Amino acid sequence: MDRAFEILALVTGSVLCLLVGGFGFLILWEIWVGNIDLSKLISEPTGDASMSRFQLLVFTFVIALSLFLVVVATQEVPNIPGTVLTLLGISGSSYLVSKGIQFSDPAGITSARGQDIVVSPGKISVGYGQKQQFTAQVPNKPGAAVKWLVLAGDGTIDQTGLYVAPPPPSPPLPSGTGAHATIQVTTDAFPDAYDLAVVTLV
Amino acid sequence: MDLLLQVVRWEVWIFLLALAGTVAFQLLTGRINTTNLLSRKLGGSRGDISPERVQLLATTLGAAFYYVMQAAAAAKSGKLPDVPETWPAVMGGSNLIYLGGKAYARFFANSDSK
Repeated sequence: MDRAFEILALVTGSVLCLLVGGFGFLILWEIWVGNIDLSKLISEPTGDASMSRFQLLVFTFVIALSLFLVVVATQEVPNIPGTVLTLLGISGSSYLVSKGIQFSDPAGITSARGQDIVVSPGKISVGYGQKQQFTAQVPNKPGAAVKWLVLAGDGTIDQTGLYVAPPPPSPPLPSGTGAHATIQVTTDAFPDAYDLAVVTLV
Repeated sequence: MDLLLQVVRWEVWIFLLALAGTVAFQLLTGRINTTNLLSRKLGGSRGDISPERVQLLATTLGAAFYYVMQAAAAAKSGKLPDVPETWPAVMGGSNLIYLGGKAYARFFANSDSK
């Protein structure tokens, strides 16, 4: 009977061992191939990195590694000293107060780096069959390549930002009912950023 | 059974170190966003380097490194090292400077966003 329990314990232990290793490997693998995205690990909703989050991250790793070092050496879960808990409390409280101050100001919920891409002109009237040159600036990465697209409406735009309005409609549209086109510019430097320009066809 | 314990120990150890290494690598190479980590986010000087954030970063990294070294040295004793009583005061002071700078920018400095 004892022998049977020993075998059962060994099999259970081996399975658990495989599971722990498998989960650990899977998590690391998914991070490396990009399926688990850590890019916003210490970011705020505004896109800026947060010092308080960074501090919490560092302390979490420090306590986890220290705890593991002690557990490995003694095979017992140690008591966590009060001063260490105090440090963690200071860090956590600081994070809360910091976010309270920041989000009490509307400026705190927008990125400090401003708009990532700006199109010019943002609004313009263009005659049917005419051309209009648009330009885009990427203030936080000057010279970054941009992509142009006619998001809605008629006309075409090339990758230099030159918009060509469509030929006049036939029959002409009644006065005051001009068509519109919306142009979008994006950049690979900031994948989430875009700006729009509105063209009124006259 | 001892062999299994050794294997699990190494698995967890490798996992923790690899995870910490991955996060550190991604922070250093910019794959984890660190935009404006040390910049002011409020007030008229928004976007400028903030000394209170720099001192908090230095204090945090210094304290973290020191504590890991202490833990490694004290591992055999079976308990986590107690930190000197001055530490909560130092870390509290550092966080207070950071929060003070932030509160000043929020409530007293001229804001270009208003």
